[in-house]
Amino acid sequence: MKLEVSGVGKDYLIPVIDSVSFTADAGEFLCLLGPNGCGKTTLLRIIGGLEPATRGRVVLDGSPVAFDQRRDRKVGIVFQEDRLLPWLTLRDNVALVLTPFGRPAAERGTAALRYLKLVGLGGFEDYYPGRVSGGMRQRAAIARALAIEPDLLLMDEPFGALDAQNRRIMQTEVRRIWRQTGRTIVFVTHAIEEAVAIGTTLVMLTARPARVREAIRNDGRVERARLIDDLNTMIMEEVERQQGGGPLGG
Amino acid sequence: MSAPAGPSATWRDWTARLHLPTLAVAAAVVAGWWLLSLRYGAYVLPSPAAVARGVAEIVATGEIWRHTGASLARIAVGFGGAVVAAVLLGLLAFLSRLARGVVHDLLAVLNSTSVFVWIVISIIWFGLSNWAPIFTTFMITLPVVASTLVEGVAAVDRRLLEMGEVYRLSGRQKFTAIVVPSTLPYLVAGMKVGFGLALKVSVVAEIFGVTSGIGYVMNYSREILATQMVFVWALVMIGVMTLTDKLVFDAVSRRLMRWR
Repeated sequence: MKLEVSGVGKDYLIPVIDSVSFTADAGEFLCLLGPNGCGKTTLLRIIGGLEPATRGRVVLDGSPVAFDQRRDRKVGIVFQEDRLLPWLTLRDNVALVLTPFGRPAAERGTAALRYLKLVGLGGFEDYYPGRVSGGMRQRAAIARALAIEPDLLLMDEPFGALDAQNRRIMQTEVRRIWRQTGRTIVFVTHAIEEAVAIGTTLVMLTARPARVREAIRNDGRVERARLIDDLNTMIMEEVERQQGGGPLGG
Repeated sequence: MSAPAGPSATWRDWTARLHLPTLAVAAAVVAGWWLLSLRYGAYVLPSPAAVARGVAEIVATGEIWRHTGASLARIAVGFGGAVVAAVLLGLLAFLSRLARGVVHDLLAVLNSTSVFVWIVISIIWFGLSNWAPIFTTFMITLPVVASTLVEGVAAVDRRLLEMGEVYRLSGRQKFTAIVVPSTLPYLVAGMKVGFGLALKVSVVAEIFGVTSGIGYVMNYSREILATQMVFVWALVMIGVMTLTDKLVFDAVSRRLMRWR
């Protein structure tokens, strides 16, 4: 589903997001990049309807997204922490989010298993989250987000807590899952290499208060190493700006 | 605990499992007790043998069941009522931030009120009847169970509730899937402590005015100078406490903690 973010801004005591606008077409894999603390997570939470925007609006497939209101569109979110319920098995965790759709328990269990297999957790469905690794828990969280067949999938630095090796593996996995399911994904990260490896569109945000600094189509026209270089330079400039500016910089 | 290989290591595991070190200490205590009882006489310190005879006696006459049953029945009502009230207070604290503050202050007051205050008040209000120990047990147990439960309610992971929000779980689904499993361990812990307290308090309250129960019969034994029976019933109390801990609370705890 197509996502339109228009002039979204957010103030807490100080402006965190100035004005951000971008579009993600249906089936795109959009990566939101920016220095730590620039407001990426806040922006993602606004898009997901978890927080109200101070300015601007978010429209998903023609339907506006607002905080605390009945939404017609389905949004799945994968947070930095897996947020699985530790007292339910992986299968029950995934099946849980299917309860609002009113399907019988057996059907939910089968659907849950299907998505767990999709993310490579076949055979682990009866394990409790405490018994599997962090990477596997995040996979389960992804399976859970996919199970509702979301119109939009939001991911907030989901691999931040993983070691470098697992991170690489999960990046490939997410790309594969995206190709297989064709979902529209907005993926927040501060790791340039990660964004370039998996995103079709890269949106770089400025230091706080955030604006869009650059929006790049990652279609291979620019050589990858060069792209990573350019983006690294850009993000370091923004990091400096954020460190240097104001008492709350950095 | 991993078991190292070798026959001597297995012997060590078995001694630990059967609580042999504790039994050895207990045997030493009983020996010391026996020696002291010879010195001090039956009124002050009855001999272990006299106590053992007393235990056999109450088992034979069935008195053990009569008085234990009476005490447990009162505890069931007082403790059971306290658990229900604690759950209601916990629910209130969960649903309303305003209520949370009031509940907190109420529990602070109840927690600092001594047993004797409740005993005296309950005798004035309910006379020398079963309701006095029941009310006392209720008032002493309630703050203990409720405090633990309210703590559990406050400790519910907000991030899990937010996840429930994201996936549009209804209020009821969030409650049964997230809040209840989250707070259940706190409730069980509170109940375990509360039950021990209920047993001790109820027995004390039984001294005033009832005609059955462990506290009553202990006090009666004291009055007729049968000190060995006081010891006998103390042992019965310890037995009841240990049994409920092991058979009820530990078993429930283990079942709840399967997922750890």
